[in-house]
Amino acid sequence: MNPSTSASAAKLGTRVRVPSRLVPALSLLVGVATWELIGRIWDVSFFPALSEVVAQLVELIRDGRILGNLSASLTNLASGFGISVVAGIVIGVAMGMIPIVNSALDVYVYALLTAPSLVFAPIFFSIFGLGRGSIVALIVVYAVFIIIINTADGVRSVPIELIEMAQTYNASRFQIARRVILPAAMPMIMAGLRIGVSRAVKGMINGEMFIAVVGLGRVVTEAGGRFDAASVLAVLLVIIAVAWAASAVVQIIDRRLTSWLPEVNRG
Amino acid sequence: MATSSVLADAPRPPLRRAGVQRGIARIVAFLVFAGLWQAFATSANSLLIPTFTATVSAFLRLIASSELWRALLVSNQALVIGFGASVVIGIPVGLLIGRFRILEKVADPYVSIMLVTPMAAIIPLMVMSVGIGLASRAMLVALFALPMVIVNTRAGVRQVDDRLVEMARSYNATERQIWTRILLRGAMPGVMAGVRIGLGRGITGMVVVELLMVSVGLGGLILEYRAFFRTADLYAVVIVVVLEALVLVSVAHRIERRMVPWAGDETGSA
Amino acid sequence: MIEVKGLTKKFIDKNGTTVEAVADLDLTVQDNEFVTVLGPSGCGKTTLLRCIAGLTRWDQGEILIDGNPVRGPGLDRAMVFQSFALLPWATVLRNITFGLELRGADRETREDKAMELIGAVGLADFEHNLPGTLSGGMQQRVGLARALAVEPSVLLMDEPFGALDEQTRRLLQEELLRIWEARRITVVFITHSIEEAVILGDRVVVMTPRPGRIDDITNVPLGRPRANPAEYAAATRTVAELTATLWERLKQHQPDSRAGGTRS
Repeated sequence: MNPSTSASAAKLGTRVRVPSRLVPALSLLVGVATWELIGRIWDVSFFPALSEVVAQLVELIRDGRILGNLSASLTNLASGFGISVVAGIVIGVAMGMIPIVNSALDVYVYALLTAPSLVFAPIFFSIFGLGRGSIVALIVVYAVFIIIINTADGVRSVPIELIEMAQTYNASRFQIARRVILPAAMPMIMAGLRIGVSRAVKGMINGEMFIAVVGLGRVVTEAGGRFDAASVLAVLLVIIAVAWAASAVVQIIDRRLTSWLPEVNRG
Repeated sequence: MATSSVLADAPRPPLRRAGVQRGIARIVAFLVFAGLWQAFATSANSLLIPTFTATVSAFLRLIASSELWRALLVSNQALVIGFGASVVIGIPVGLLIGRFRILEKVADPYVSIMLVTPMAAIIPLMVMSVGIGLASRAMLVALFALPMVIVNTRAGVRQVDDRLVEMARSYNATERQIWTRILLRGAMPGVMAGVRIGLGRGITGMVVVELLMVSVGLGGLILEYRAFFRTADLYAVVIVVVLEALVLVSVAHRIERRMVPWAGDETGSA
Repeated sequence: MIEVKGLTKKFIDKNGTTVEAVADLDLTVQDNEFVTVLGPSGCGKTTLLRCIAGLTRWDQGEILIDGNPVRGPGLDRAMVFQSFALLPWATVLRNITFGLELRGADRETREDKAMELIGAVGLADFEHNLPGTLSGGMQQRVGLARALAVEPSVLLMDEPFGALDEQTRRLLQEELLRIWEARRITVVFITHSIEEAVILGDRVVVMTPRPGRIDDITNVPLGRPRANPAEYAAATRTVAELTATLWERLKQHQPDSRAGGTRS
């Protein structure tokens, strides 16, 4: 379906044969170079050149504003995501295994997943006050529902013959859940965690921007208030790095736990 | 008589009864939640935590007020423009990068970054460059929705069976014909999923922008009620927002199923 | 010894009509007997097996194993599945010890037993493989080893070779006969292959559908041990004759046969 790389490269007018693996990196490089160029030529406050941004980032790290807030953000992220994982898997397994629980909760889980989670920030703010608790609660709202849904789907799609096989060996319900259902559902659970961690990062930033007390979100808001585009972009780079790193961690755990999957099935 | 504790196949209740059972379970769950809420709020006895009953009456008042409908109008302007833009830009981009591997590889790093970046963090930049009017709100809505539209459209194109394209080529189809006769139809499920998910993201963007950038519309109402400690009203607006999201996405889902009835009930890449 | 008395099991199909998957069925399987159950799809043979296994509840009748009524799955019975039902994330070794692990046997016991069976089913050197790396035939050997590992008194086999190609199937039939000779436990083997039923069984139980009941039980006049029947001309002839007879019988109950049509 896809014309070979070199054929379409020829179509686009290049004659150079570029190994397709390198194209994304090259594309990024070109983008970065363009950014630098435009930033220098077009002298507007909101579009600093990349070099400026990097310099500002170094500056921010040096005077300690990044690190303190970064660790605050990461702590929020870890707590919120941790709670989401535990709660999400437990509720998801319950929904997957017990039909009445599924019937009772599925509409609400879906509704809360579809709704813009940030609307709950003022509510948490009024309950937990101006602090970490509100942000963690918000992160949970961002991440937990997708984990629940994926877990429930994973549990429900365990092949019934595996469960029956375990039944013929007289396995208790608990043994079946632990030895058959959980491992079998793991790929889908991990998919939920992958999406969940990405949502958790967004919840973290959004929450920190709304309840601007601590964390990277607060730094962004402050910098924005000062019209300091370079700082905003600098922190944005850090945020992207955090999001990417969190995602990578989950992927590594995913590989370990689902190493038995044939390569074809990797999402 | 067998009294096996491990049940394999009780005859299934006819479908209607199953539906009623489910409805009851949902209502019970809701009542339990409402009950707990009411108990918690009454005991907390705080200005900041409205009771369930107070919230319900605030909600009913709100629906009847013109304030709400004006806010909905203002908010949804940004949604319509922004979402429209994301579809108009996102679908062609998604189709192209789905079809041509090389374009996909070129776009890949940027799409990944877009997927992973919390768009809210872009808000300060948007304020600095475009200001705080409808234009910047719409642009942010578009930014929220765009990655999903692109990614799902791309997936839609990719999952069109290669062999169909090969077959068309063997009949000497031109590129244009491959598109019109095979790819566009085949990619529809993915495209529609992208539209639906993008709409959800767009609604999120609409609200986020109003909470973090310029307090107009629904977000503005929320912030206003918060400032005046009208927490029952605040909760009521939150409910309105959740309902709007649900309604719009459900409608989109219905349309999606109408347009691509041959597609399985996929949730797409969320 | 398995005693099935008056077994009746009804389903409600998707149109809402009641179907008798099994109707008032009586069957006795002696100790150490290898019984094959033969019949077309929908004749109730799988339902019968699942009831004996305790996976399916039934409506009327009773099933006794050595005099004890069946109330659910038990340690005295083990099942081999057509789709193998191996845990895809576990090695061959872990799959075989599955039943033992559930029972709480200690590691050494489990592994000794597993290694012994791995040798018996011919999977030596594959103990650390994942099922995904094995062929269908090898996977079913694992399924068989797993069932044997818990030392059941009854082995229930649900069209175990149905998903395999012909060559593999014949190979595994020979293997099964060989393994069974070494440990003569009671076997109930479901199949829709007439030849397979004759080659493997001491008795062939023919079942017919709608309602599911036993049509006939035939003794297989071949001695034990049954080495490869193809090696013995006489045995082959018996198999062919018996196969033909059984086929004539079964044909009467096929929906599109001209001689008889379906019994309803």
